[in-house]
Amino acid sequence: MTAYLQAIGIVALIYALLALGLNLQFGLTRLVNFGVVAFFAIGAYTSALLALSGVPLILSFAAATILAGISALPLGLLSLRLREDYLAIVTLGFSEAIRITLQQEEWLTKGVQGLPGIPKVFASLGPAASDTMLFFILLIVTAMVAWGTVRLTRSPLGRLLRAIGDDEPALMALGKNPTKFKVQIFMVGAALAGLAGAFYAHFITFISPEQFIPLVTFYVWMGLIMGGSGTVRGALGGAVLLMVFLEGSRFIKDFIPGVSEVQMASVRLAAVGLALILITMYRPNGLFGKSTS
Amino acid sequence: MIQFLNLLINGITEGLVVALPALAMTLVMGVNRFPNAATGDFMTTGAFLAVGAQLLGFQSLVIATLLAALITALLSAASYELIFKKLARQPMIASLLAAIGLGFLMRSVISFFAGHDQRTFNVPLVRAWNFDGIRILPTDLAIAAAALGCLAIVFVLLYQTSFGRQLRAVSDNPDLARASGIRARSLMIGLWLLVGLLSAIGGVLLGMKAVVMPELGWDHLIPAFAAMVLGGIGSPVGAVIGALLMSVAQELSVPLLGPSYKLVLSFGVLALVLLIRPAGLMGRVDLIR
Repeated sequence: MTAYLQAIGIVALIYALLALGLNLQFGLTRLVNFGVVAFFAIGAYTSALLALSGVPLILSFAAATILAGISALPLGLLSLRLREDYLAIVTLGFSEAIRITLQQEEWLTKGVQGLPGIPKVFASLGPAASDTMLFFILLIVTAMVAWGTVRLTRSPLGRLLRAIGDDEPALMALGKNPTKFKVQIFMVGAALAGLAGAFYAHFITFISPEQFIPLVTFYVWMGLIMGGSGTVRGALGGAVLLMVFLEGSRFIKDFIPGVSEVQMASVRLAAVGLALILITMYRPNGLFGKSTS
Repeated sequence: MIQFLNLLINGITEGLVVALPALAMTLVMGVNRFPNAATGDFMTTGAFLAVGAQLLGFQSLVIATLLAALITALLSAASYELIFKKLARQPMIASLLAAIGLGFLMRSVISFFAGHDQRTFNVPLVRAWNFDGIRILPTDLAIAAAALGCLAIVFVLLYQTSFGRQLRAVSDNPDLARASGIRARSLMIGLWLLVGLLSAIGGVLLGMKAVVMPELGWDHLIPAFAAMVLGGIGSPVGAVIGALLMSVAQELSVPLLGPSYKLVLSFGVLALVLLIRPAGLMGRVDLIR
C-alpha cells in the first residue's frame, strides 16, 4: 500500500513538474504550447539512452533537461512571429513529428519495441529504497521549481512576463522588448518538461514511443486549467486533481461490469474531452477560481 | 519516371480528398477565427457512420455516405450551437481547447463502441488499369471525381449564392457585415452544416482509399492544417491548392523517406511556410487592428 501511494506520488510530482513548465509558458506568458509531450519525450529518451550507455545519472538528467530546452529554441523563435493559434498547431505537429521519429529511427531508439531496463536512481539500494529516494528528490525539485516560479512572478521580470501575456502592444509602446523573454520562458518550460521526462524514464524503466502521444499533453493542459492557470497553486492543485482522475478511473472499472481495459481507455479519453469542453465553457479560471473571467 | 507518375497520380487523388477538410478548416478559421481541431474527428465520425450505414443494410455507398454526411453535419451544427457560439467572446484558446476536447470525445465514443479494428467499405473490387506501368485504380478515379464534384458544389455555393457572399463578407470584415444587416445566426448554422458535410465526405473518401480506424481523421489534422496555411488562411482556393501541393509532396517523399514520414514532412512544410511566407500562397497579410 505504501509502495502504491508512493508510486502515485511520484507520477503526481512528474505531472506537477510538467504543469509548472506549462504554467510558465501559458499561465504567465500566454504561449500556447500543445507540444508538452515532445519535450517530455526528448528528456526521457535522452536520459535513458545516455544512462543505458553508462553515463552517470546526474549527467544524463542534466543532458535531458538541457537538450529539451535547446530543442525548444527553434519553436520559440518561430513563436515570436506567429499568432497564438498557429503556435498551438505547430507545437502539436512538432510533438507528432518527434513521436514518429522515435518510432522510425530504430538504430537509436529501438522503435516500437521501446527501451527496456533503464536504470533506476540509486539502484544499488534496491528497488523499494530507490523509489523512495526518487520520490524525495522529485519532491525537493518540484518544491524548488514552485518556489522559483513564485519568486519569478513577484520579481520585475515576472511582472514583465505577465504584461506580455496581458497586453503585448502596450508593453512595446512602453519601450520594453518582450521577444527575448518569451523565447527564454518557452525554453525554460520545455527544459522542465525534459527533466520530468528523465524522472519518468528512470522510474518506469521502460519507455516506448506510444507512451508519448498527444493525449499526455492534454492531460497536463486539463490539470492546469482545472487548477487554474497562471498560479503555482493552480498548477500543483491541477496535478493532484489529474492524478485523482487518472487513478480514480482505474478503480471505476471494477464497478462497471463488462467494460474491457481497452474500452476503459476510451472512457478516460471521453472524460478528458468532456472536461476540456466543460472547463473552458463554465470554469475558465479553474475549478476553484471565479466562474467568469 | 513511371514510379514518379504513379506517385503523382496518387498524390493528386489524395490531395483532392484532403482539400475537403482543409476547406472546412479554412472556412471556420476565416469566420469563427479559431483552428477547428475537431475537423479530423468529424471526418472519422463520418467514415464510421458510413461503415455503420452499410452494415445496417444501406448497401449503396452513395446512400451510406449521404446518410453519414447528413448526421455529421447535424452534429457539427449542434457543436456550434452548444459550444463554439458560447465561446465566441472568449479568447481564441478557449474555442481551440474545446475543439480538442470535442475531438477526443467523438473519438472515444467511436472507439468505445466500434473498437480499434480496422474496417473497410463494402466496395466492389476492381483490377487497376495498367497503361504501360502507369496504374490507375478505378476506385481512386471515383474518389477523385467525388471529391472534385464536392469542391465544385462548394465553390458554386461560395461564389454564386447569397449564402456564400454573406459568408465571405463575414470572413472579410465581421463588423461591416453585421452593420450591413447580415443575420449571423442562420448563416453560422449553414456554415457549420457545410463544414460537417465536407469533413464527413472527406473522411469517407479517405477511408475508401485506405482503411477506417479511430485515428483516421486525427492523423490528417496536421496535414490539413498545413495545407490550409500553405494556401493562405481564409482562402478557399488556397486550401485546395495547398492540399494538392502538400499531398503530392508527401507522395513524392515516400521513395526517399518511407511512408511513415509523411506527417513529419507536412509539419516541416508548415514550419517553413510560416517562417518564409506566413500569409501563404493566396492569403493576405493580417493587419493588426
